[in-house]
This record gives sequence, C-alpha cells and structure tokens, in this order.
Amino acid sequence: MPPLLEVRNLTTHISTRRGVVRAVDDVSFTLEAGETLGLVGESGCGKSMTGLSLMGLLPPGGALVGDSSVALDGRELVGLPERELRRVRGNDIAMVFQDPMTSLNPTRTIGHQVAEAVLVHRGCTPGQAADRAAEVLGLVGLPHPRERLKDYPHQLSGGLRQRVLIAMALANEPRVLIADEPTTALDVTIQAQILTLLADLRERLGMAMILITHDMGVTAGHADRINVMYAGRIAESAGTDRLFRGMRHPYTQRLLASVPRLDQDPARQLPSIPGLPPDLTAPPGGCRFADRCSYATERCRAEEPELTGTDGSDGHRYACWHPTSGPLPQHAVAVAPHPDVVPAAAAGRPLLEARGLVREFPVRGNRLLVRGRRVVHAVSGVSLALGPGETFGLVGESGCGKTTLGRLLVGLDRPDAGTVTLDGTDLGHLRGRELRRRRRDLQMMFQDPFSSLDPRMRVGSILREPLRIQGIGTARQQKARIAELLAEVGLPERGLELYPHEFSGGQRQRIGLARALALTPKLIVADEPVSALDVSVRAQVLNLMKRLQASHGLSYIVISHDLAVIRYLADRIGVMYLGRLVEVGSADDIHLRAAHPYTAGLLKAVPIPDPAVERAKHGTGISGELPSPVDPPSGCRFRTRCPLARERCTHEEPALRLFGPGHTAACHFPLLPALSNHAANAATDTSGH
Amino acid sequence: MTAYLIRRTGQAIVVVFGVVLLTFIMIHLVPGSAARATLGTRATAERISVFNAANGLDRPLAAQFVTFVKQAAVGDFGTSYSLNQPVSTLIAQRLPRDAVLLGLSTLLTLAVALPMGIFQAVRRDRVTDHVLTVVSFVLYSMPDFFFALLLVAVFSVQWHLLPPQAPQAESVGGILADPQALVLPVVTLSLVSVAGFSRYMRSSAITTLAQDYVRVSRAKGLPERLVLLRHVLRNSLLPVITVLGLAAPNIVAGAVIAESVFNYPGMGLLFYQAATSKDYPILLGSTLVVGVATVVGSLLADIAYGLLDPRIRYVDA
Repeated sequence: MPPLLEVRNLTTHISTRRGVVRAVDDVSFTLEAGETLGLVGESGCGKSMTGLSLMGLLPPGGALVGDSSVALDGRELVGLPERELRRVRGNDIAMVFQDPMTSLNPTRTIGHQVAEAVLVHRGCTPGQAADRAAEVLGLVGLPHPRERLKDYPHQLSGGLRQRVLIAMALANEPRVLIADEPTTALDVTIQAQILTLLADLRERLGMAMILITHDMGVTAGHADRINVMYAGRIAESAGTDRLFRGMRHPYTQRLLASVPRLDQDPARQLPSIPGLPPDLTAPPGGCRFADRCSYATERCRAEEPELTGTDGSDGHRYACWHPTSGPLPQHAVAVAPHPDVVPAAAAGRPLLEARGLVREFPVRGNRLLVRGRRVVHAVSGVSLALGPGETFGLVGESGCGKTTLGRLLVGLDRPDAGTVTLDGTDLGHLRGRELRRRRRDLQMMFQDPFSSLDPRMRVGSILREPLRIQGIGTARQQKARIAELLAEVGLPERGLELYPHEFSGGQRQRIGLARALALTPKLIVADEPVSALDVSVRAQVLNLMKRLQASHGLSYIVISHDLAVIRYLADRIGVMYLGRLVEVGSADDIHLRAAHPYTAGLLKAVPIPDPAVERAKHGTGISGELPSPVDPPSGCRFRTRCPLARERCTHEEPALRLFGPGHTAACHFPLLPALSNHAANAATDTSGH
Repeated sequence: MTAYLIRRTGQAIVVVFGVVLLTFIMIHLVPGSAARATLGTRATAERISVFNAANGLDRPLAAQFVTFVKQAAVGDFGTSYSLNQPVSTLIAQRLPRDAVLLGLSTLLTLAVALPMGIFQAVRRDRVTDHVLTVVSFVLYSMPDFFFALLLVAVFSVQWHLLPPQAPQAESVGGILADPQALVLPVVTLSLVSVAGFSRYMRSSAITTLAQDYVRVSRAKGLPERLVLLRHVLRNSLLPVITVLGLAAPNIVAGAVIAESVFNYPGMGLLFYQAATSKDYPILLGSTLVVGVATVVGSLLADIAYGLLDPRIRYVDA
C-alpha cells in the first residue's frame, strides 16, 4: 500500500526580476495517516513554499519543475488540471496559515467563510453547510458556535480567529492538514491551547499533519518526525527524539543551540550561526551550509552531500560530509561579558524610578455624549525601579500594557498619574529644551527592523540624525562617531552609504541599536528587540546587546512576550497582566520560585525544545484569553483565568506582598508562602503599588 | 446611526454655507457688472442704477448676502436677470435631466471601470494590463470637449449612426424615450472618467489580491471566479467608494462641457450661460445645488462604506 502522501524530488522555481529563485530543491518525504511531520528551518529555507507546492498554490511566477511528484494515496497530483486540483484543495489537503488577523475576509461573517469551504466541495444546501460550519466551529472550541456564525472576524480575538481558520480547514475532514506556523502570531498561552487542539483533532480525525515552524520547541512536543530544511533542501530528517538527542547535521546542532532556553545559563553567550543563508537565485555549488559551518572543509565547498542514511536504524538521514554527533555542549560556548550588577536598592539612588504610573486611553466613539465615557486601562498603577547597568525585563501577553509602559518610561507618552524619575529628575516636569536634552539618556529600540528605519535615508544619515538634533560635535566629529557606532554593532563602514533595504533583518536591528547608542544613553528601552528575527540571527543580536551593555554600562528595559529572551537578558523581571505588575523578582525568583499563578502558567506554556519535557506537559494552567482592558475584572484581574481563584479574588484586590529579597507578587493564594502580609510596600518601596 | 446622520447633516450645512459665501464673494470680485451684462454696453447710467436698485445690487454686499441666505432658506433663489424666470423653477426643470445624464454616465463609468480594474490587477504586468493602461491614460488625458467632438465627427458625421445632439425633450420620460440621442453624451462623460476609477480599482485590487484571506480562499478550493467575486471585489471597492463620493464636482464639471457640446438643456448648460451673462441668481443657485450634491455624495459614500465594511459602525452613543 502506498503511503498517504509521498513527495518525490519536489523542486519549485519562482521566476522573479532578480532571476529564478530555487525555493524548494529536490525535497522528498513520505507521510502516513495519523502522523505529524515537522518542517523546521529559518525564513527563506523553503518550508512554507513546500507546503504551498503541495497545495498547488504557488505565487505568480512559481512552477514545479523537473520530475517533481506529489502522490496522495497513490494518485499523482502534479500535472492535474486546475479543476481537478481544486477538488483536492480544502477537501483532501487543507492548510492553516500563520496570521489569523489577516487570514479572514473582514467583510464576510465567519459562518459564511466556514460554510463556503463546505459548499464548494459538497453538494449540499446552504442550510446544511451552515449546520456543518456550526459543528466544526464547536469542534475547535468556539463557544456558542451557532450564535457566532453571524459574527464578523473583527469581533473575535486572535486566538478565536485561528480556531475559525482551523475549523475552515477541517470542515471537509481532510486527510492531510498543513499547518504553516499556526501559532507564531499568537501569545504563548494561546499557542499552547491551539497546539493542544491540533494534536487532539489529529487524533480524533485520524489526519496526517505537516507542522511548519521555525520554533524548535513547538516541534519538540508535537511532531513525530522532523525534516530540518536549509536553503531549499532537507538537511536532516529523523524521528523527533533522535533529532533532538543525536542530530548529525551541524546546522541542526547550531539551530537548536541558538534558541534561548528557559534553563539557559545567562552567563554564557548564545551560540549564534555567523552569516546569512545563501541567495537562492544562485545557490553555492557544494554544501549550502558550508559558508556558515565551523566544520566545513574544501570538500564541502566543492561537492554537494547527498541526503543519505548512514545510521540506517530509524530512517535517520542527513546531508553532510562531516557529521557531528548530538547537541552542542553548553560549556563549549564562550562566557558572556557581564558587568557587576548593582541591585537597585543597594545602589542608593536608582537610575530610573517609576511610581504609581497610570495611563488610560479613551475608547473611540461619540464624543458628543460625555456620559459613560469608556477608557482602556492600559497601565494601572505600576511602580518599578532600575539601577545603573541593570536589565529589567517586562513580560506579559499582548495587550497587557507593556509597550505603553515602555513609552511612559522613556517619556514618549505622559502618564495620567504617577511619576517617572531619571537620576532624580522628574521627567513630567521637564518641558521643551530641557526635556529634549534629557532624552539623550533615554533611547528606544523597536521591534520591526523594516518599519523603524526610514527607507529613504542612508544609514549614515539615520545614525547621524540624533547627533544633529542634539547638536553634538562638529560635522567631522559626527562622521567619526557614526563610523565608530557601525563598527561597534559589527557592520562594515561602507554600510554608511547604503539604504536600509540593502540590509537583512538582523543587520537592520543592529542599525537600530547603533542609532539608540548614538547619544550614549544611560537607558535603552528595547521593545521586542528580537521577535521579528530568525533564531540564528536572534542569538547574534542578543549577544551584541549583552556585549554593549557590558562595555557601556547601559541599563536596559527589555519588553518581550518571549520568556526565554527575557530570562537570558534580564537581571530582574516584572510580569504584567492587564495593566498591573503582578510579580516582580530576580530572574531566578521568577523562573524557579514563581509565586503568582499567572507567572507559573506563563512559564509552563513556553514550548521547550526538548521532546521529553514537552510531552510530559499536561495543559497550560491558563485557560481562556486576556479580558478586555476596558472592563477589567473586579478584584484580582487575573481571577477569570486563574485555576486557584476563589470568592475572595472577586471582591478584594490583592496587594503586593514580599516573598523574598526584592521578590513581590500580588496574589491572595500564592504558590509560595509570603514572608509577611503587608511588608511589601515598606520593604521594597521600589516595586510596590 | 441616527445621531451620526444628524451630526453629519449639521456639518453639511456649515460646508454648504461656506461654499455659498465664497461663491458670493468671488462673483462680486470679478470685474464687470450684472447690469452691464444684462442691459448691454450702451445702457445709460440711469437705467443701470434703476436695474441695480430693482435687484438690490446698490445695497452693501453684506446686506445682499443676508437677503440671499434668508430667501434661499425658503427655496427662493431670486429671479434670473436674463431669462426672467425664478431660479428655483429653472433648477426644478433642469435638475431631473441632469440626474438622468449624470446617473447613467456614472453607472456606465463604474460598469466599465470596476471590472477593468480587477481584470488588470489579475493580469498585472502582462500585455493586456499594459494595453488597458495605455488606453485609459489616452482617454484620461483627452479634453472632454475634444473627445465629444471626435465622437460626433465619427459616429454622426462620418457614419450617421447616432444623432449629434442630445435629446431636447422637456420631461425625463421624453429624454429616456430617445435613447439613441443619449448615447454620445453619456459615453463622453463616462469614458473620460473611466481611467481614474479603473486605476484606483486596479491598485486597490492588487492590494487585496495580496491579502492572506485571498490565499486562504484559494486553499479552500474555491474557483478563481468566486475568489474574485466574493473576496476580492467587495474589499477592493472600499477605497474606491470614497473617491466616488468626492467625485461629484468633477462629474458636474464634465457635464458643463458635455451639455454645451451636445446642447443638452441641463444644469451645466444653464450654469455656462449664466456665467457668460453674469446672471448672479442662477450662478448662486446652481453653486448651492452642486455644493449640496457634493456634500450629500460624500455622506452617501460614508454610509455605503459602513454597509460594506462591518468593521465600521457609526455608533450612536
């Protein structure tokens, strides 16, 4: 009997103005019913294009070439007329895409969009299709599916929209489901819910699944076998356990090592992969990874290794002339430079201090009627302190107010109540020239390396602009300074003459960091500094941030939804939930001795790139989604999602209590015994509410 | 929705008042006088002052404006100097004819431009797209009067297929009873504005085609025709609607030319004649009508927007 899906020599070429991109090059694999195959790799490695090739949904200019073959149950799909292929799409093979916010048509109801998938493949009435839509929406866990058929996508949260998209894909009970980064755009808590849902549905419906992701942690828990892709080819293919424990390809090894893990030793550098993946319009002749590989020899550059299985045993195959064995040992990595941290309390005066910050935004609507003015409670009474040279990490789900807090701290926005003090000066009292001078000490680094640099300015001008505005130095001095800055972030000097689009994402993020450094600030607020970057590049930028902190004595406030990134960078961590800091402590306090159930749940939801650990997990501990910040729940704001919530949590807002030196949390029923009931505010005036 | 409409109507009144005030000032800034234009260049000073007194033109401008606004509020725009009829009667006669001409040509414009824009977006950068782009730019850059005359020369003079003059009937029914004569004016007005709309539609549809939900609908196995109809058309229409709402003045401006060329007794022709004879009451009255039409057009566009895009709801409280 043939396998359910058999892919042979799949080769996809895309003609562009720059030339022919060899997006997928000679990829072969099989998939059995009930099996999940992980396709892992960095952006541009061809994993998504493999998925689209299977669906016959190539972008303009794309075509399958050579003897590409995709057989579903022995039936060849390549070369089928479009009409036949359409019957397969969404019926036998369905696909779930990455971004639930943009993957639904905003002008049609979700019921219509799900029913449409049924109607196009089954000869049924619109009424029957609607029934089926309600049924599958219930299956994917949409509450009250029948009433929600008439909802429009904008009325649903991101997590619910992804459920709708999964329902749409499952409507016709496909035999193969291709999930392309199904949770990348979601919060960790929601990610865990969706991944569990997918695994559960695969089980119940007996589907085969292809899980495309860049996240090694996601595949660890959910794939049976993994294909690691690099530059359009499969570099290594093995069972999940085998791949994580005994990988043979150096790329797999480095890729796994460069993911910051929760149990990462922050004192060591992250092993990054130098350089960038090759240009697929002209792939190198030998091994495609050779230029970035530390084991590469002449042979690697001359001859391309075959994907062969020398280990024989369980179909473990890899394409490498000099295979390694197993993961990179941690002690093989250089120690990260780190200054002696002076804790905020001990240093006397903190560098930055925020007290009782409140920021509310009016909900857009009719301003004629003042009655019942509704506001978004973005930040509701946050206090924190930061010492010189210290890194404070802010974590929380999207919508918890962390970015608003970051903007308040650098003075880009003014609080409705509370104060921000920098070096003893209240930023709220500064105006005009004085404020502008003070801004030198506070700089920001942004998330999106594509939109945070003016595309029509040369890098030299971008870096020079802060110096010009602040009137620092002569033209000659400024030129010298920007050259120095560029060298400091590891970019060549000729980069000054180039435009942002001539750089890769990681390089642009370096430019963003250089711009933030131009005025030699005391504090940099980095809002999701690496979340738009690929894993290997992420490690490069994180290492750079650490190095610069050590050499400049910088303080960082790092905002991220990624607990592992925060863990790696931060000395102290604040966990935010719906506008409040629910727990603050040292990185170890948060990771090893979390007192707040939210912190614990958040940590549990992070996928760990270790199959044994991932599979042992049961549930996430955090159910549901973030409530609206317009009407936050009474009492403890987390109570609606808390497994430990009781009557008291509804009525009484928990105060911050002390759980250890500098470790506070606001919870009535904490996971640890509190040191004293009311000591928090007295003992650490710095992080109280 | 009601509160929203009330607020928008309030805004509309302010806008129209501003338009009328500006027109009033501009008319009186232009050299020459209504009396000279009406009575001829050899009129005596005495007759001119009698004319001015009779029409209230000897009073201060501010007082004249107040009188005009007061009367206009009850639908009285004064009496035309040259045609000796109340302006309101003239407008009431001619406005329906314009509704026919402009309505038909706008419908035709959209019927051509929207599918053309989507078609071009689908065939982006291919030969058909380039050819249509060239055609629409040629039409766009051609002056309306020249294009009108060209059509007359070819279809009426050369081939005797269509009459060179628009229907002269008084009533709307009479005009519609003579569809052959309507063809050239409607086509002239449409084709020169097709380019604008098809370009908007093309770029809007190109943006929509790149959206994730279009890919999702293809992944469902939907035939391309349904993908375009259900998912691309409506979403691409949204930006075009705003442009359409603001296009009212351009359409009216086009009508002035087309009506003069085809001798169609509509508002455009009336306005043109009034402008050459300094017939203040007609000028002010028709400006008011166009101003109201523009404001109503953009209001209608906003409402249509709200109907097409469920994310936009005009909340009352």
